Amino acid sequence: MKSERLQNAIGMIDADLLKRSEKPMKKKRKIKIKITAAVAAILVCAIGLGIFFGNQSPVDLSVHAISVAQYPEMSKYPAGTRWNSHDLNWKAWDEDQAKQHAYFGSSKGLESFVRATASEILSGDGTENRVYSPMSLYMALAMLAEISDGNTRAQILNLLGAESIEALRTQAHGIWNANYNDDGAVTSILASSLWLDNDIAYQKEILDILAEFYYASSFSGEMGSEELNLALREWLNEQTGGQLKDQIDDIAFDPRTVLGLATTVYFRAKWYDEFSETKTKKGVFHGANKDVTVDFMNTTSNVYYWWGENFSATVKALERSGCMYWILPDENVTAEMLLQDEDVWRFIGSTGTYENGKKMKVNLSVPKFDVSFDTDLVENLKNLGLTDCFSYENSDFSHLLEASTGKGVVVDELQHGTRVSIDEDGVTGMSYSVIMLESMDGIKPTYEEIDFVVDRPYIFVIKGEDGSVMFVGVVNQL
Amino acid sequence: MDDEKIIALYWARQEKAISETKKKYGRYCYSVAYRILRNEQDAEECENDTYLDVWNMIPPIKPKPFSTFLGTITRRISLDRFRKYYAEKRGSGETALSLHELEECISNGKSLDEEMEEKMLAGAISDFLRTLPETEASVFIHRYWHFRSVAEIAKLYGFGESKVKMMLKRTREKLRLYLESEGFLI
Repeated sequence: MKSERLQNAIGMIDADLLKRSEKPMKKKRKIKIKITAAVAAILVCAIGLGIFFGNQSPVDLSVHAISVAQYPEMSKYPAGTRWNSHDLNWKAWDEDQAKQHAYFGSSKGLESFVRATASEILSGDGTENRVYSPMSLYMALAMLAEISDGNTRAQILNLLGAESIEALRTQAHGIWNANYNDDGAVTSILASSLWLDNDIAYQKEILDILAEFYYASSFSGEMGSEELNLALREWLNEQTGGQLKDQIDDIAFDPRTVLGLATTVYFRAKWYDEFSETKTKKGVFHGANKDVTVDFMNTTSNVYYWWGENFSATVKALERSGCMYWILPDENVTAEMLLQDEDVWRFIGSTGTYENGKKMKVNLSVPKFDVSFDTDLVENLKNLGLTDCFSYENSDFSHLLEASTGKGVVVDELQHGTRVSIDEDGVTGMSYSVIMLESMDGIKPTYEEIDFVVDRPYIFVIKGEDGSVMFVGVVNQL
Repeated sequence: MDDEKIIALYWARQEKAISETKKKYGRYCYSVAYRILRNEQDAEECENDTYLDVWNMIPPIKPKPFSTFLGTITRRISLDRFRKYYAEKRGSGETALSLHELEECISNGKSLDEEMEEKMLAGAISDFLRTLPETEASVFIHRYWHFRSVAEIAKLYGFGESKVKMMLKRTREKLRLYLESEGFLI
């Protein structure tokens, strides 16, 4: 008998023996990092912030909190009208808001990251809807950089456009704060967490850095156990208001996972001027696959209208939380073509200073939508130059994990799921009371008029209050 | 997606079966292949070959557990490639080393029947492993199924390397005796 045949036969031993042999390995069985970047954009209903938001340990005792992030305290948006500047409730709220506003501008410099990832992730066959959150992906990758070392880290820093880990840390901290709002009226939270196998050795000070600068809580448990998977899914569902439950139900650590990172974006805002429901009419959306009849919301307002060589665009403000842009390709131009258009990206990065624009009386007609997209971003990130973190030969996560373990750890999955919807109230599905405000100066200038009908595939961009690109999407079919 | 749904996609001849398999088990298959070949490109190709084999094998079968089924196929494909392209060049690798070690099990005899079904032999080895304490059986599997190095196994169990070497040596000797007693070797 040749020993090769013996080797072959060993390959066919009973499955239960093979499975049993894996049990004692779970503690250090190398070698996988699972990153989950689940994103919710629009929340239909207010769901109480659960055990993790409350800075408490998870209920299940088999899952332990190692390091718990403390979010900045924030005064609730006061009820009633602001009568004078001495109202203590308003004063407290003003002060807390000002603390967060001090971080505005932190996302400056991220334009190339947003452009590179959007062009890569949103480019498909032109028939499906795609949407993702640059901010969620950024925070996940920034934390990945924190736990890595050597060229693995250098590649991540390069993609994120950061000169050093210290610069990245400062910027991520700023972006988090600039986009943090939880005053009861506006909800915008970039939540992060790190999940470790019970017996993996790690540097506690790195977890402390993640808690301090990224507001990331760290938990440990038995990888592959139902308890830890349940805790992860509960955390994700709580951060995303249960709106991504279908996608999240598929997320689980397997016994080979040693470490998981999770980030979420929770964003809810209403229009500064809401659409009137009575003006919502059925209309035809000429989708990439077929024409469909959907609800179009209509409003007329004096806002900016921009035009480029291949597109036109307009904007609608969100109350105290940024704005949404619709970018409509010209006839015979597809949304996918625009994603590669230099001019479009110059517009997206311009924060309203794009040269071809003027204020006009825009008769805006846009379809209501609720789009979701989930995908694994590993291949996309490889295309963008991140290779070492996926390579057994080159990966280096020894900054967090002990050197002998960290060198053999690779990123296994990078799941990203996003859902965005809009309706008459704003980027939220719940009904909302709106206070109508009039211009205090009473002067209403007149403007040229234009119809802006979003009745064919288009791109949308939602920016946070400080101009951070929170979400980008392409809607091809409704 | 759970395994049953993935297998149902194979039965329905939907190509999504492959992408779902890759999504769930791609890294596992890759790691099995990589441990044998120690080359990223080859490991990737073996992973992809695995999907093709699985596509051709399902239907008619409904493998359970699916992960072991995949791992077994990847292992076979990777070993074939190793023997074809790497045996000489990579003679000092773990795959070649483990092969060399297994020769001890047959060093005192030769097969009664060179064409003996490998499946029968696999059954005998499974029976043999069940006679061992769990740890010894698992250490053997880590070495000769997964091709982990002695150092890796020692780290997994918190043993010294010499203990692992001794354990493997004794197990190989027991296996040789067992195979002889079962009539596989004379």
